[in-house]
Amino acid sequence: MLSIRHLTARIGETEVLRGIDLEIRAGEVHAIMGPNGSGKSTLGKVLVGHPAYEVTGGEVLFQGANLFELEPDARARAGLFMGFQHPIEVPGVSNTAFLRLAYNKKAEAEGRDELDPLEWEDFIREKIRLVEMDAAFLDRSLNEGFSGGEKKRNEILQMAVLEPRLAILDELDSGLDIDALRILGEAVNRLMNPDRALILITHFPRILEMIQPDFVHVLNGGRIIKQGGKELAHELEARGYDWVKDESLAGRA
Amino acid sequence: MAQATAEGGLKPAMLGSPRPGGWDLFRSSAEQRLEGVELPGQGEEAWKYLDLRPLWELPFRPAPPSRVEACPTILPEAKASRLVFLNGRCDPHHCSVAGLPDGVAFRTLVPGEAALGTVLGEEPAFFPDLNAARFMEGAILRVPAGCRVVTPLHLLFWNQGGEGCPVVLPRLFVHLGAGAEATLVEEHAGEGAYLSAPVVEVLLEEGAVLDHERIQREGPEAFHFATLGAQVAGRAAYRSRTVSFGAWISRQEPRIRFTGEEAELTLDGLALLGGRQVADTHSRIDHAHPRCVSGQLHKCVAGDRSRAVFNGRILVHPGAQQTDARQQSRNLLLSEEARVDTKPQLEIFADDVKCAHGAAIGQLDPEELFYLQSRGFSPELARNVLTYGFASDLLGRIAVPSLRRRLRHAVLDRTEGGAQLEGL
Ligand SMILES: Nc1ncnc2c1ncn2[C@@H]1O[C@H](COP(=O)(O)OP(=O)(O)OP(=O)(O)O)[C@@H](O)[C@H]1O
Ligand SMILES: [Mg+2]
Repeated sequence: MLSIRHLTARIGETEVLRGIDLEIRAGEVHAIMGPNGSGKSTLGKVLVGHPAYEVTGGEVLFQGANLFELEPDARARAGLFMGFQHPIEVPGVSNTAFLRLAYNKKAEAEGRDELDPLEWEDFIREKIRLVEMDAAFLDRSLNEGFSGGEKKRNEILQMAVLEPRLAILDELDSGLDIDALRILGEAVNRLMNPDRALILITHFPRILEMIQPDFVHVLNGGRIIKQGGKELAHELEARGYDWVKDESLAGRA
Repeated sequence: MAQATAEGGLKPAMLGSPRPGGWDLFRSSAEQRLEGVELPGQGEEAWKYLDLRPLWELPFRPAPPSRVEACPTILPEAKASRLVFLNGRCDPHHCSVAGLPDGVAFRTLVPGEAALGTVLGEEPAFFPDLNAARFMEGAILRVPAGCRVVTPLHLLFWNQGGEGCPVVLPRLFVHLGAGAEATLVEEHAGEGAYLSAPVVEVLLEEGAVLDHERIQREGPEAFHFATLGAQVAGRAAYRSRTVSFGAWISRQEPRIRFTGEEAELTLDGLALLGGRQVADTHSRIDHAHPRCVSGQLHKCVAGDRSRAVFNGRILVHPGAQQTDARQQSRNLLLSEEARVDTKPQLEIFADDVKCAHGAAIGQLDPEELFYLQSRGFSPELARNVLTYGFASDLLGRIAVPSLRRRLRHAVLDRTEGGAQLEGL
């Protein structure tokens, strides 16, 4: 579904991604871990086309097509989604109108019918049940004045509405209370199916108990320095990152 | 003098035309004030940013009578509380006031019945004086003390451009008795090239409440120079929102004065500009009594090569203690060539007051644009949604639901591809 080859990218003068290779197939869940500033969010934002980052080398194929030939909105309509670490507030635009428009744009791109207002009501009611969100949040401005956890919940609501082929969730678990983490973890699981894939960026194994990864990658200094299965997350929790860094230095020496 | 004719085509054309009947004294004193006065120029501080040279060469003439088959706009809430003026003359075909309570007058002004000019004062000012000298027919809304008019009232001034440049001088007098309440929609619209210089006077007695929605959607070649005077008595509330979409060159000049204690004012404005439109708002609020509250939110969206001007003057007079005055000017520039000049002007002569003002000029936030794009919105749609978001809080305050919806649509129509935002 997604093939990343030798991807390098920078922001301003800083080379943040320094050669990423990653292969993601349908049905897989990949966790990306790594110290602060190692480039995890950058990788996600480069994939969804944030204009602040410049791709300096390598290539990415998404469902067989060159990802970088698509504008960010076309990537979204093709089924790529990122739940951001710090979602933006958009005053004056109601959450429900925004969600409906996003849904209809995607439906239009896929040649499906748009939902009329009544169908939309049913559709969105089911989605907010999935993420156990209070319906009052639908009428508020998009993310405006939402708490950190409420913003994360709203990101998963957007994911539920858009049903992406590949979702990148950047620190979904940061800022969530224990119940919210369980609810959203279950919601994400229910949104997965063999045709879809998931990249989870996280610092903590707790969420990986809920959403079981097939692979865990450790990012450091803009490179993937170690890969393993789910057990790697626990090892990192117990031992920190230094031993991985040491191993990787030794390997390269 | 050659220059005088170039600049003064408007005045001679109007003063050279026959004086309509009624208000002789009022009209002749306005004529006297106009002696030696010409169209304002950019040399005058209050007109510094508004270039009126496009008016110099135009062959102005008093607007002839006009007809329309169907009423150009109808608000369902005001089907039986509507007055329509065509080129400054009341057209009874399109009026209906059957739905009003007894004692409420909403009709053509009868000579002598209202003390025109008393609210506004007699300070010389070119456009209001021109209006006083030659307005055709006026409108009056009078609500007796204690009467609450639940039905919104709709007053439409429809103007038809044509040969030469017709000049329309709409006039409105609003008088709410003590404790009276009403909602008034004052709408200016039209087609073609013409000049409209309306004057509105609002007199609110003790405890009266008026919601005053003012819509300026004149034709794209039109000129619009509006003056609003309001006197707000003790414990009265005046809530006025002016939405400007239309005209090539337009100006709003609201002047509000508190005449009693603990009164309340909302003076909001939204201007949505594109092409080469120029819209200027020069407001003045006089806090002359203690414990009055005023809030002013003025927003401009300037696209293409348009230009917006805001000058908001608030005077807190000596003795107006515990005044609470807030003013915000927020501006969104949609293009490199658009321009906004904004100037808040607070003059405070009392010591125990709460006053706050702020001005911001900005572009759409790239992070917000990207966020929407990452959800599948094309860049154009993302821009439209954010522009709509900027304007929408102000529209949300409009007291008449169908008008609120209509204006939201008008904002959407202004943004290309806006139809997709239906339901926002
Ligand atoms: N706008 C920017 N200007 C300069 N440097 C930046 C900018 N954005 C990111 N960086 C740098 O890029 C590096 C990678 O940042 P990134 O946000 O991808 O880290 P991360 O792995 O997601 O960290 P965290 O775990 O703290 O979220 C950091 O060193 C950061 O300081
Ligand atoms: Mg990060």
